[in-house]
Amino acid sequence: MRNNTSFRLFLILCIAPAAILFTIFMAIPTFNVFRMSLYERGAYTPDELFVGLGNFEVLFGDVKFISSMQNTILLIVFVTIFTFFFALIFAAILTREKIRGQNFFRVVFYIPNILSVVVIAGIFSAVYRPENGMLNSTLSMLSGQTVQILWKDQPMVIVSIIIAMVWQAIGYYMVMYMASMSAVPESIYESAGIDGASRTTQFFSITIPLIWANIRTTLTFFIISTINMAFMFVKAMVAKGMADVGLSFMYNQKDAGLYGYSMAAGVVIFVFSFLLSAAVNLVTKRDILEM
Amino acid sequence: MKFKQALSIALSLVFSIAALSGCSGGSAPAVDSQASTSSNAPESSAPPNDAPSGSARSISVAALEAGYGVEMWGKVVEAFTAETGIEVELTTDKFIEDVIGPAMQGGEFPDVIQVSTGREKGLTEQFIKSNQIADINDILDMTVPGESVKVSEKIAAGFTDTKLTNPYSDGKTYLAPLFYSPCGLFYNAGLFEEKGWEAPKTWDEMWELGDKAKAEGIYLFTYPTTGYFDAFLYALMYSAGGPEFFNEATTYSEGVWDTPEAQICFDIIAKLAEYTNPITPAQANDTDFTQNQQLILDNKALFMPNGTWIIGEMAEAPRADGFQWGMTALPAVSEGGDSYSYTWFDQAWIPSGAENKEDAKQFIAFLYSDKASEIFAASGAIQPIKNIAEKLEGDNKLFYSIYENGAKAAMGNFAAYNATAGLGTVREVFLDPVNGLVSGNITTEQWLNDIKAASDLMRANLK
Repeated sequence: MRNNTSFRLFLILCIAPAAILFTIFMAIPTFNVFRMSLYERGAYTPDELFVGLGNFEVLFGDVKFISSMQNTILLIVFVTIFTFFFALIFAAILTREKIRGQNFFRVVFYIPNILSVVVIAGIFSAVYRPENGMLNSTLSMLSGQTVQILWKDQPMVIVSIIIAMVWQAIGYYMVMYMASMSAVPESIYESAGIDGASRTTQFFSITIPLIWANIRTTLTFFIISTINMAFMFVKAMVAKGMADVGLSFMYNQKDAGLYGYSMAAGVVIFVFSFLLSAAVNLVTKRDILEM
Repeated sequence: MKFKQALSIALSLVFSIAALSGCSGGSAPAVDSQASTSSNAPESSAPPNDAPSGSARSISVAALEAGYGVEMWGKVVEAFTAETGIEVELTTDKFIEDVIGPAMQGGEFPDVIQVSTGREKGLTEQFIKSNQIADINDILDMTVPGESVKVSEKIAAGFTDTKLTNPYSDGKTYLAPLFYSPCGLFYNAGLFEEKGWEAPKTWDEMWELGDKAKAEGIYLFTYPTTGYFDAFLYALMYSAGGPEFFNEATTYSEGVWDTPEAQICFDIIAKLAEYTNPITPAQANDTDFTQNQQLILDNKALFMPNGTWIIGEMAEAPRADGFQWGMTALPAVSEGGDSYSYTWFDQAWIPSGAENKEDAKQFIAFLYSDKASEIFAASGAIQPIKNIAEKLEGDNKLFYSIYENGAKAAMGNFAAYNATAGLGTVREVFLDPVNGLVSGNITTEQWLNDIKAASDLMRANLK
């Protein structure tokens, strides 16, 4: 009996740090976001004024908020599609095919992931430069005439952000898929090869179903992280108001002295990302195949 | 067994305490890691807040690392401590808002903040809007530390009764005017000499010059970011309708944007957008804006709106042969009309939440001393102090003489209004759309309609 109590005490003490930290840094701030969205206040004042759902009412009529949410959705859809497409292809090539310098490519693809977004913004600022930027120069060389695409101006700005975000994310997911792909037994591919299945058929009928559980988890991860990454890329790369996403709208409202309004935007984005990941989880549900 | 259990409990206790202790400690270390925090106090001295009152007085000063550099702040702080014995904890950063912001949200304010209005983060605007700036009217009657004159006798006339220093129209000064700079259009005087061009006196001459330059493959205009249009727009409003129109426009008078004067302003900006180097908006962001400034140095655009800090900011940049900075006031709207140059000035202020207001006031008063202004001037930061013109050297001598050469001084800014959900900032409403005008994504009518709608809301929320 005594043993049991002290074991319990031990458990409580083990859990306590995490629980306390979680409460202080996650639960209370999250609760505060919801509370403050019902008030109007500046960022640095203690005075606040209760406005009920007034902030939300204005928010859903705010053209800037709507267009920034549209940008968010656009980025989530396209960045996810392109990243997963390339990450899967590259992972399949690097695990299944015999290519010289596999490890070299693995490292090269992974490098963008360890760079900070500010560094990436600096790199792409050189890539996207209208005059003598890398991209325009390459296009000029290929087409034989001077190409001057304004990558960071409307309407190309959102494409530029998509390219940078995909470039940054591919490596990480590629490494993840390589890990699970290499767990697929070679014998399955061999027997499929004997049965006359082409490499493409093998990829879609063997590789993808067998790593589906991994794809599903990373997809949910990725969608949530894209909401955050989109903000960082937009903030570091382009002018304010050029291609605002949901979180940068929220941030700008704070700078305009509307802390409550900004929190209301935060609540909407929170609910949005919550529902989105739930939906993704639901539609990607399959029976897990055992090897 | 028992020993093991006791040991494991003890260990987990130690871990949890260690984990939690990471949370305390306040904001000071976080600031240190990001910003250069230099204190001129002896290395062994206790943290300023713990010092018993009376023995070692100290204040904290947060200053923006602007084009003038940070060296001057360190020297001024040193001189201040030598003069008054008050120690100063100085924090400087290019993004000072991010460094001091979190602590301020927690209720800990620096005693003196030197961040001006018009920055993207709008820190100063937020403090004005929420009435969190301390009244420093009595500084004007204080004696400058180490001298025998009053502060008001040092500051040049007109600088302490603008809407920027006295935002609440109660006749009291809240923000101290610190460095001033005439703003105008900057150009390559060397190129103008070589081609035999002259800086235009009217906008008609400007368009003529634009056509001439276009024939040579040079665009007439560029701008670093849309933020630089504030000084431009203010000067333009002055030259279109004089101080009356400016005051009506900046207090959002009803129907002010339907007047012929407003039409003149918008027509000029719309036409200027056509003459702007088309790559400008793609680089008009905080990462690439120096590329737009580079267009002037490379003779790819003739004019850009800017301030005198540009010389220091682009000092290291490559440039065309024979390049020489030139600056001109905004052209007059018509022949014989007035040309204006906007006088930009930086501000220093004391947040009302500051703990050591009296010592902070001493510090601001000291900024106007001969010693301080000498240090500032050495870095190119010119203060609005009487007779400062005699101390100027080099390029600055030329730039600051702009008002003696016929240009009138434009001062003031858009009136403060209460932050309202759904209503953009002055920059979002009046300046940012210029990018869209240049790239052709919005029309002047759309822009004008947005301004009218926002202006009505701003009037309704005037402070």
